[in-house]
Amino acid sequence: MKQNHAPPAAPRKWRRKKLIYPYLFIAPFYLLFLVFQLYPMIWSLVLSFYKWNGISPQTFVGLKNYQRVLTDQMFWESMTNTLWYLAANLIFILPLSVLLGQLLCTKAVRARKLHKTIQILPYITSTAAAGLIFSMLFDANIGVVNGMLGALGIDALPWLTSVELSKIPVMILSIWRNTPWYMLIVMSAILGVDANLHEAAVMDGANALQRMVRITLPSIRSVLLFSLINLTIDSARIFTEPYILTKGGPGASSLSVVQYLYTTAFDSFQLGYASTIGYMLTLVLLVVSIGYFISLRRQSEE
Amino acid sequence: MERRKKRAANLALNLFMALFSAIALFPLCWVFLTAFQPTGQGVSFVLPDILAKGFTLENFTRVSELIPLWQNFWNSVVVSVVGTVLTLFFCALAGYAFAKFRFPGRDPLFLLLLFTMVIPQEVCIVPLFVVMRKLGWIDSMLSLIIPRAATAVGIFYMRQYISQYPTEIIEQARIDGCREFGIFCRIVVPGITPALASWGAISLIARWNDFMLPMIFLRNPQKQTLMVAISQLPVSDGLSTPWPVVMAGIAIATVPLLAAFVILQKYDIADLMAGSTKG
Repeated sequence: MKQNHAPPAAPRKWRRKKLIYPYLFIAPFYLLFLVFQLYPMIWSLVLSFYKWNGISPQTFVGLKNYQRVLTDQMFWESMTNTLWYLAANLIFILPLSVLLGQLLCTKAVRARKLHKTIQILPYITSTAAAGLIFSMLFDANIGVVNGMLGALGIDALPWLTSVELSKIPVMILSIWRNTPWYMLIVMSAILGVDANLHEAAVMDGANALQRMVRITLPSIRSVLLFSLINLTIDSARIFTEPYILTKGGPGASSLSVVQYLYTTAFDSFQLGYASTIGYMLTLVLLVVSIGYFISLRRQSEE
Repeated sequence: MERRKKRAANLALNLFMALFSAIALFPLCWVFLTAFQPTGQGVSFVLPDILAKGFTLENFTRVSELIPLWQNFWNSVVVSVVGTVLTLFFCALAGYAFAKFRFPGRDPLFLLLLFTMVIPQEVCIVPLFVVMRKLGWIDSMLSLIIPRAATAVGIFYMRQYISQYPTEIIEQARIDGCREFGIFCRIVVPGITPALASWGAISLIARWNDFMLPMIFLRNPQKQTLMVAISQLPVSDGLSTPWPVVMAGIAIATVPLLAAFVILQKYDIADLMAGSTKG
């Protein structure tokens, strides 16, 4: 009796043969994921309980690496620095990208295309190259930043070589280089906002600021959330900026977590401990990501 | 009165915008102001001095003496171009499968893919290095090209784009007896060229500018990418590499991409790139 309900034999065979294609098409990603992501990740987790210098046999040390990381002054300093970088990025990049994105869509601004082209250039410049340029600009003796301060009657400041100031050039570099990308994203979102809403608001006598707060920002909320999360994860991984500008110094005053991980692994060859640092960072990012998924889900439910 | 106020506001907006463009351009200008200065008498940072000092191309020759410049340049080209082409192919292929096929396990597999995006690669850099060593890919460009031949973000983006592509055309081709891979190459790929262009641009920029992984995987100076080689210029000559020489190196490393971008801006490449993040 059951046979009656089954589809005819030929299409079924055809279907089954066809079924293999999608798997074939997505296989490369999962293969690469297994070899270059999952396997290293698991290995990294195992390694975080070991002591290993890359050559001699690994020795199991249990939770010692984790105990050490919790009391490691250098680690906490790098964590605090990273949070500073993250905060600076969020505070400056997001508002700036909304402001500039809006201006790029405002008819009263002349030569918008030229401005857009120019303002994207920092994003096309590599962080490493920009880092070298900024280390020249912020050089204490010959740097143009101090030169301009001097013109204003302010004494030269040791931007890259003092514990108090070393984080500032790193932040400025990061903001300079990363704002354009978010500006583009926000601009494209603003272009998609329903123009009728704005027209109606203008008729009701709403000014530009009111329209921004009441219409534009709510309409691009999901894009802003995407940018917020993306920027958070990216900022937590900051490496090249302090590595090029200050080498993390002086002391550890501008060291980032990923940079500390890098030096622990490739300068002092404490591969187990480096993995532990990596997992501490993952833990932080995992918490953030979970928050991200929850708020995304809440958004899509609305 | 009202009109005057509006005019003042417009002027303020334009000045404000000009200020931000100036900030974006300012550091890049210094590269060119410095790169052509003779190194003999120290570096000048005052415009009249710079103009008075004259102009030299010597710094560029100096760069090519300090590092294997053309070899590094070529390495960067290979890593960026081959990497981008491969990633476009595999991401579009997988994106097509996720967008237009129904198969058991599709949704959990896609969720897994999304989740891999939030794991920072830096975390497992140590085992990754060991994997590369075992594969014999240290000092080989394969270490940069292969792991990113199919990326989660790229597949996600391609899926978004391809799902808007009309299914009927694909069905029709299938009825006409087109093979699955043929459908992809001859029907899907030509239909998604804007997506390929924008993702290609983003991918190319990221790969050309990549720093941490090339620095870790490529140790031999002959094998390094340009960005890593340039970053080591300040110390390659002791501590004394003059800034003009470093800036000449930076000009070589950044101008190709900057120029390409400015030229392609005719086609609104920036808007394309921005569009890629929609959805």
